[in-house]
Formats: sequence, C-alpha cells, structure tokens
Amino acid sequence: MSILILKDVTYKYEGAAKDVLRGIDATFEAGRVYTIVGKSGAGKSTLLSLIAGLDVSTGGEILYRGTNLRTMDRDNYRAKNIGVIFQGLNLLTNATAVENIVLSMHISGSKEKDKKAYAYTLLAKVGINKESADRKVLKLSGGEQQRVAIARALSHNPDIIIADEPTGNLDKETEADVLGILTSLAHDEGKCVIIVTHSKRVTSFADEIWGINDGKLFRIK
Amino acid sequence: MYIIQNAFYNILRNKGRNILLGTIIFIIIISTVVALMINNTTGSIIDDYRSRFASEVFITPNMERMRERAMAEAAGSTGRVRISPPVIPPEQYIEFGNSEYLYDAVFKASTAVNSGNITAIDAELGGQAMRGTIFSGNEVSMPTSFYFSLHGNKFEDFREGLRDLAEGRMPENLNECIVSSDLAELNGISIGDKLSFTSEIFLRGGSSFADTQTLETHYELEVVGIYYDATDEYMQGGRHNAFTNRRNEILTTYETVVAPFLPGYSGITISATYYVKDPDLVPLFAKELYEKGLDSIFDVGTDEASYNRIVGPVEGLRSVSITFMIIVLIFGALIIALLSSMAIRERKYEIGVLRAMGMKKHKVALGLWLEMLIITSLCLALGLGVGTLAAQPVTNYLLAQQIQAAEAASQMPGLGGGAMTIGSIASTGTAVSNAKPLSEINIMLDLKTILQIVAITLLLATFAAFVAISRITKYEPIKILAERN
Ligand SMILES: Nc1ncnc2c1ncn2[C@@H]1O[C@H](COP(=O)(O)OP(=O)(O)O)[C@@H](O)[C@H]1O
Ligand SMILES: [Mg+2]
Repeated sequence: MSILILKDVTYKYEGAAKDVLRGIDATFEAGRVYTIVGKSGAGKSTLLSLIAGLDVSTGGEILYRGTNLRTMDRDNYRAKNIGVIFQGLNLLTNATAVENIVLSMHISGSKEKDKKAYAYTLLAKVGINKESADRKVLKLSGGEQQRVAIARALSHNPDIIIADEPTGNLDKETEADVLGILTSLAHDEGKCVIIVTHSKRVTSFADEIWGINDGKLFRIK
Repeated sequence: MYIIQNAFYNILRNKGRNILLGTIIFIIIISTVVALMINNTTGSIIDDYRSRFASEVFITPNMERMRERAMAEAAGSTGRVRISPPVIPPEQYIEFGNSEYLYDAVFKASTAVNSGNITAIDAELGGQAMRGTIFSGNEVSMPTSFYFSLHGNKFEDFREGLRDLAEGRMPENLNECIVSSDLAELNGISIGDKLSFTSEIFLRGGSSFADTQTLETHYELEVVGIYYDATDEYMQGGRHNAFTNRRNEILTTYETVVAPFLPGYSGITISATYYVKDPDLVPLFAKELYEKGLDSIFDVGTDEASYNRIVGPVEGLRSVSITFMIIVLIFGALIIALLSSMAIRERKYEIGVLRAMGMKKHKVALGLWLEMLIITSLCLALGLGVGTLAAQPVTNYLLAQQIQAAEAASQMPGLGGGAMTIGSIASTGTAVSNAKPLSEINIMLDLKTILQIVAITLLLATFAAFVAISRITKYEPIKILAERN
C-alpha cells in the first residue's frame, strides 16, 4: 500500500481570495526520493504543512497508510510518523543540539533507553561532532543547524521525511552532503523522502520529480 | 518525566526573565507571609480577648435613668433627692443564670455570721448590724451584731496571689470551709475542726420595719484548709471593726452559703457573673433579662472599653496587614499576568516548535505551569524564611504605630474611635477601664499559616500559568510558526 496518497487536495488561506492549492493528486511510496520544484510562492511550503499534519486541507483528502489525516490525531502523527525539516528549521535555538534531539524523542514517546547517547550517534551520522552537539543551536553555523534539523527529523525514526528547501542556504559541498544523507535514508533505510526545492541541482538526486505551478502539481519525471 | 526536566531546563535557559519574575513573586510571598502571620496571630489573640472580655456580662445601673426616676418620685415632695440603685434580689440572680445564651454563670454568695466557739479578731471593736432597730409598739428589737462574714465561692484573691493556702485544701463540698491563718492562730483552729455559726435571714414586710420577720439560720462547717492572707486588713470604705476585718472571712462554697436561703428573704447576698457563649448574644441575653424582670434601670453589657483599649491596636494592626496583603496580591497578580503574557509572546515560537514536533497542547500547558510552579516554590521556600524573620520587627513597628494612633485619638475629644467609648461607659458606672493596650505580640508561624501561604502561592502560580496558557492554546502551531517566518 502506498504510504501517502493525496486526493484532489485544495487549500485556501483564511481570508485569502483564491486557492493556493488546487486539486492536487499524488501518491508517495516508501524507499523513494521525491522532489517538488516550483517558483517561490507557488505553494510548496503550504503543501508540505498539509502533508506534515500541521494544517488540514480545505478540500480533498490526504491518506497516511489509508487513514485520513483530517480525522486522525495529528499531534501523534507529527510526533511519530513524520519527520519535518522546516524551511525555517524551527529548532529550539536556546537549547543545545542534543537537547533538541532528546526532547523530540521524548515527545514521540521513544523507547530508547539512553536517549542522549542515541542523540549523539544520530548527530554524528549527519556530521555534528560531540562538541557542536553540546552547543546551543544559536551558536551553530547555518549548515550545522540544517544538519541538526535533519537529525531531529530522524530522531523518532519516522516513515516519511519531508524537507522544505533543505539546501537553501548551504554551500555546494554541504548541499551534496545533506542530499546524500537524505537519499540514503530512502534507499538504504526505506523511508519516503519528499524534498521541496527551487534548485535544479537537488532534483538530480530524486527518483521522481514533480513540479508545482499556480497551485497545481504535475509529474515531470 | 521529561516535561518536568524540560521545565527545569527552560528556567535555566531564560535566567534573566525568570529572575525578574521570581523577584516579583518573592516580594509577593514575603508580603503575604508577613501579613498572614500577623493576621493569624492577631486573629487568635483577638478571639482570646474577645472571649475573655467581651463574654463577661456586666449588669450595671444606668445613672441617667436612676436620676430621672428619683426626680419623678421626688416630684411634689421637697428635700434632697436621694439616688440609690435598686437591689437585684438573689432569686433573680439565680433565675438569670438559667439561660441558653450562657456558657457559664458563676455565683457568689455571702452572709454575716457569728460563732459560738471561736473569737473574732478585733472583737473588742465590736461587730456590725445587718438591719436597723425595729420598734413595734412598745417592743424594741435590737439588731444582731455580726463579727464574721461567710463567703461562698469568693476565691479571686487566691488567683491574684493575695491569699495562699498554707495547709490543707480548698473547700469543695458542702459545709467545708477555710479560715485565715490569723484567725486559726487566735483560736487554735486546726484542719478537721468543726466550727458552728449562726446567721439571720429576714423577710421585710410591707413598708415598715415593724413587720420584719427574722429567722435564725445555722452553719456547721468543717475546716479543710488554712490560708495566708495578704489582702488589705479592712474592707474598703467600712468602719474598722471585727466584721470589716477581712481576716475574719470564712471561705466556703456557694452552695454552703445559700443552703438556708428562702426566696424573698434578705440576709444572704447573692451575685453572679454571667458568660455569654458569644459576645454577639449579649443583646438577646439582655432582652431575656428584662423579660425575666430585671429593673429597666440596669444596663446589660460587656466590658467593651477594656476590650477595645487592649485589643484595639491589635485589631488595627490586623486590618492594616490584611489591607496590605490584598493590595500586594492584586498588584502582584496584575504584574505577574502582564509579565507572563509578555513572556508568552516571547515564547510563542518555542511553543510553536513544540507543537509542530507533536507535543500535545495539555503537555505544553503542563510544562508552562510546572515552570511557574518551580519558580514559585523556590520563592516560597526563600519567602517563608525571610518573611518569618521579617514578621516580628514589622509587627513591632506597626503595633507601636497603632498604639500611638490610639493614644492620639483618645486625647482628642470629639473624635470617635475606640478610646472615646471608655469615657462614656465610665460615666454610666461601669468598671473604669485602665487596661493597658497589648504592646507586644509574639508572631508565630503555625501550620495553618503555612498551609494558607502554600495555597495562595499555588493559586498565584496557576494564575500566572493560566494567563500564559489561555493565550497560547488558541494558536495552531502552523500559525505561530508562520508569524515568525
Ligand atoms: N499564512 C498565510 N496567509 C495567507 N497567505 C499565505 C500564507 N502563507 C503563504 N501564503 C501565500 O500562499 C502562497 C503560497 O505560499 P508558500 O506555500 O509559502 O509558497 P512557497 O513555499 O512555494 O514559496 C503565496 O502566495 C503566499 O503569499
Ligand atoms: Mg516555501
């Protein structure tokens, strides 16, 4: 069964004149990397926030493993089933990197015994050493913050990972690094990885490429 | 639980804000501790004095009404107007004591006696008659001269330390008595001796002495104790004779003295002190007394003057402390509400992140509440300590001010206040109050006060957290985060 199915999804912001998303149909499978490309303001972040369960569509439905997000406990869905790397990262900047990860594990109800040790391992996996891990997020570089956000998205071992412009403010080298990590999550660990981007370079890593324009989603590759 | 841990972390992560918040809470708690300690300590003092002073009922003649009545009676006749209060008959005293408003009625009785087997001190100065000479026709009935007085339940001198048991025990049962050591020495009385006394009660008939019927009564008393006597030797205002010599007082129980009492007969003086269950019952008790036949010349009241004088400053202190506490709590709560709603605006992003990570609303709220609770508990521990130390000096200072204010008010005629009532009551003949106001209070921290403070503190923390929570839970995470980006 497909892990995520979007059926005729529409969305309109409160008070806005017209729909931002219009009749979106898509299916996402485990073990694959998807990219969604589109100009700024096309509705990419809006679509991700619907998939992330942060908001509900005004029309149509989104099914996670057959269950409608509209009716399910979306707090629980966010805590356990999906890992989100926000465009703005949304890390707790006053806390250390490792504290961010541990807190996320707690919220998801992780059974991991030594959460701190697990968090260090996870951070190491995305290229954050122990010293940086113990630093406040505020004091980390943009690239490091990006990696912490990825580690946090992985901390509760979700089925789906969505990333909003994860390489937007990274240099080429780090960008390749981050994309490598995300791709390996799909291909080696069987996650469903959805990356939103306006960068052509990113799409070269994808198994499937979708475009979004004027609120409509269409398959490119 | 990770929420508690996270609450701790959050407090440490935002030291500046939390120190500010903590300082304000700390000030509120200190003020509350001091105010509550003062309030509760003074409260129990006031209750204590109220039950001691305001519950003893005084039945006193009202001068104004006495004068009016005397004038009315004297109208028409010439000559001096004599004012004397009517006597409350013994049976009325007993009847008055029979009331549901009282928790206690203490009776005393006394009578004049003579003894066949002992000699009075000052016997050579003679005794004292209890009635006038009676002329009926050619017969002249001279009144008996009495040398001793027999007192039932008159033991206040023992409480005041003017009399003290030298040997034996106090009289407890019918026909037991104690005598002064001077009298015992003079007559060689020792414990276990039997003394016999005679007395008289008489029935005044009609308007003339001639109809007076006299009955001789007898007392057979066993000496159960001998007491040292350091009271003034003679009764106040009396001539010096054997009867007025207080060393000749034979002390016994109330029941012993009134045993030969017959209604309507004089000769045995009975008095009573009534204690009402609650000072508020005095007007009801008074109404009941008038219905039972108390002469309208009498006022029924309590020793409010002494009470006010002693407790007035303490009551002032109490109301100052309560007012102060209420003001502090209201302002404190407003400041806290303001601070925590400002803090929330600052923390919106953080809350949005937590919500985006899937943390439930109620857990976010719990976390915020725990943060407040931890800060408040720390302040509570410190505040209880500092407040307890501060309470006594603050009390001393405030009480001194209250006493000063009361004194100033009492020296300023025409201005109301507790002190003025002293003057007016004194003029009607009640006990003149020379009671000193309470000038020292030992402030104590009792369990009740601690519990009240803890309750107030919990409410404070909850209130502050509630202000915060009510604001954030309205927002969806996406909106909180969107506002920031
Ligand atoms: N909170 C909002 N309220 C109203 N309109 C919004 C809001 N957020 C985004 N939009 C509008 O919706 C459209 C899509 O925005 P977004 O999904 O952020 O685009 P992208 O991520 O593709 O740049 C834009 O026109 C944007 O102005
Ligand atoms: Mg966007």
